[in-house]
Amino acid sequence: MAGDSGQAAIIAEGLGKRYRVRGMAAPTLFGSLARLGRTVPVPEFWALRDASFEIPRGRTVGVIGPNGSGKSSLLGLVAGTITPTCGRVTARGRICSLLELGAGFHPDLTGRENVFLNAAILGIPREDVRRRFDRIVEFAGLREFIDMPVKHYSSGMYVRLGFAVAAESDPDILLIDEVLAVGDVAFQLRCLDRIRDLQRRGRTLLFVSHALQTVEEFCHEVFLVHKGSIVARGEPAPTILRYIREFMGEGGPVFTQEFGSREAEIAGVTLRGADGREAGVLETGQAMHVDVSWRAKRRIDRPVFGFAIKTGNGFQVFGSNTQLAGHPVDAIEGEGTIRLSLDPLALMAGNYMLSLSIHSWDHAQQYHRREDWYPFAVRNNTGAPGAFFLQTRWSNPPAAAT
Amino acid sequence: MNEVEPSIVSTPAGARALPGGLFTRATAELLASLVARELKSRYKGSVFGFLWALLVPLFMAFIYVMFLRLLVGRGVSVEGIIVGVFAWQYTVQCVQGGMTSITSNSNLVRKVFFPRILLPVAVTGANLVNFLLSLIVQFAVLAVLGASGGLGIGGALWALPAVVLWLTVFNLGLALLLAGANVHFRDTQHLVGVLLSAWFFVSPVMYDLSLVEPFAEGRPWLMPLVWLNPMTGLLTAARACVLPDVELPWTLWSTAGLLIPALLLGAGVAVFRRAQRHFADLL
Repeated sequence: MAGDSGQAAIIAEGLGKRYRVRGMAAPTLFGSLARLGRTVPVPEFWALRDASFEIPRGRTVGVIGPNGSGKSSLLGLVAGTITPTCGRVTARGRICSLLELGAGFHPDLTGRENVFLNAAILGIPREDVRRRFDRIVEFAGLREFIDMPVKHYSSGMYVRLGFAVAAESDPDILLIDEVLAVGDVAFQLRCLDRIRDLQRRGRTLLFVSHALQTVEEFCHEVFLVHKGSIVARGEPAPTILRYIREFMGEGGPVFTQEFGSREAEIAGVTLRGADGREAGVLETGQAMHVDVSWRAKRRIDRPVFGFAIKTGNGFQVFGSNTQLAGHPVDAIEGEGTIRLSLDPLALMAGNYMLSLSIHSWDHAQQYHRREDWYPFAVRNNTGAPGAFFLQTRWSNPPAAAT
Repeated sequence: MNEVEPSIVSTPAGARALPGGLFTRATAELLASLVARELKSRYKGSVFGFLWALLVPLFMAFIYVMFLRLLVGRGVSVEGIIVGVFAWQYTVQCVQGGMTSITSNSNLVRKVFFPRILLPVAVTGANLVNFLLSLIVQFAVLAVLGASGGLGIGGALWALPAVVLWLTVFNLGLALLLAGANVHFRDTQHLVGVLLSAWFFVSPVMYDLSLVEPFAEGRPWLMPLVWLNPMTGLLTAARACVLPDVELPWTLWSTAGLLIPALLLGAGVAVFRRAQRHFADLL
């Protein structure tokens, strides 16, 4: 144990956090006096229970799970801001938490004063801040505003300055809680660059995110948290897939709807990557296959299979069906599978929802429609920016005859 | 990595930073930053800025003097009131600032690990700086009054640093106790507001003990009670330092009252350390 722990940046042993639910009201003295002498059963719940793990130095671990599953409690416990109810957690090295950027900024003080204050709170020696001050301001892109009180900053500027201080502080352990979803795209890219830089320098990162493609891209290991327990941990891809299957979409936090007469049903769906293996995170520019298994209670002639893809925030990206695509299906009966291929996948990085339907040729009869049913994530490894991936080809034009 | 790495060890007894704990250079720098923030933010944007630290007790003293002259007539020296009000203001500001030092920084306390005790300590420190500066004004006013026929400055001046220190110990103890209490019980603020005004009247701020002594005849319990209020000893000591003809009597009860600040600070630290475990849960 002692030998191992020398290498570990974070060690948790039987870590647990229990909250007593006191209702909506803030605790008051009179409330406590009124309760005195009576034993009122206080409902309690475990935000995190029996968490034991070691994170070796230099590793990036992602924490995923449904809302309220205990992800943020886990980070708070590691950061030392939340006192555990039982167990013990040790974090070796200087920790910096990006739990809330700009926490501790004082609105009346200038950007410059706040940089020094925030750095002191994060435990960075004043001398180091003085040396790195220009880089911090440069990174935040706030040179002309640095001597202005931060109450006049926009929320984006606020966050940028907060991130710049934290990132330039070069911590041994960086805790990130869903904060990278702020700022403009250019700043987000710079943040991700910064994180890659920290990874290269062997820093330990623990980060909570709902952006599954970012988790898959950056993490060496993923913890899946549900109802206060770490229910799975391991390689990013299979753990994310398990999360998508078990906790998202149907029965998960996403609101899905079902319609139809159910004479023919969509029984299941499997997403496969270019290599034919099941995947929860697909890649931009590569093939994506959707195997839809169906069940028909009676013979249905000329059914139409349809699909639609929406982004995580409900914007419809694309929808089509076998009729429009010129692939009419003669008839279905019993059980079977039909494959939809998107090759190359034109979607860029993000979280998406897949809707599927079966209806009659004349659209009069809806057999089964599952709206926002199946979630998946897309990762962009092509390096190309933009809204969509367009298949392109470069070549020398045929020599023009003069 | 040539130096020993810092660690945060978190157990149900609370989070600790190792090595060094509280007494490190980083902590000292953070405390200095927090004190500076406290002082800067308090007067930023106001026209008189830092002058308010000096003007407020001066105005208060002026008001008390005017009213006392109207109501009581002669009997309480103007100089005595000035010294009393300046010291009382220091305590009031520590009580009010210390009480809200955690709740008004909830964002910080919930998100970042650092020794939380620095927040009430920083408030007290900032008020100490204010108080020391206001003492300059106090001496200036006393000198002017002395030149125009008042009492003038005199007394055990050499003991003034000790009195300031002891007053600070008392104020810090109060700030620590109330900072923790206010997180756990939000009605602390209201209760303290009421208690402060009661305390003002039972403490010899705008009167001195010569006004109380007549009432004590036939009531042997009164003077011990008055002296057990630490403010009585502290204010009398402050006056004995700077004014002629004021003496701090060293009796059993005045000594007991002057021991209370030390006990209070000890209790404050102990209570705060226990209370801080649940700060993040309750904020």
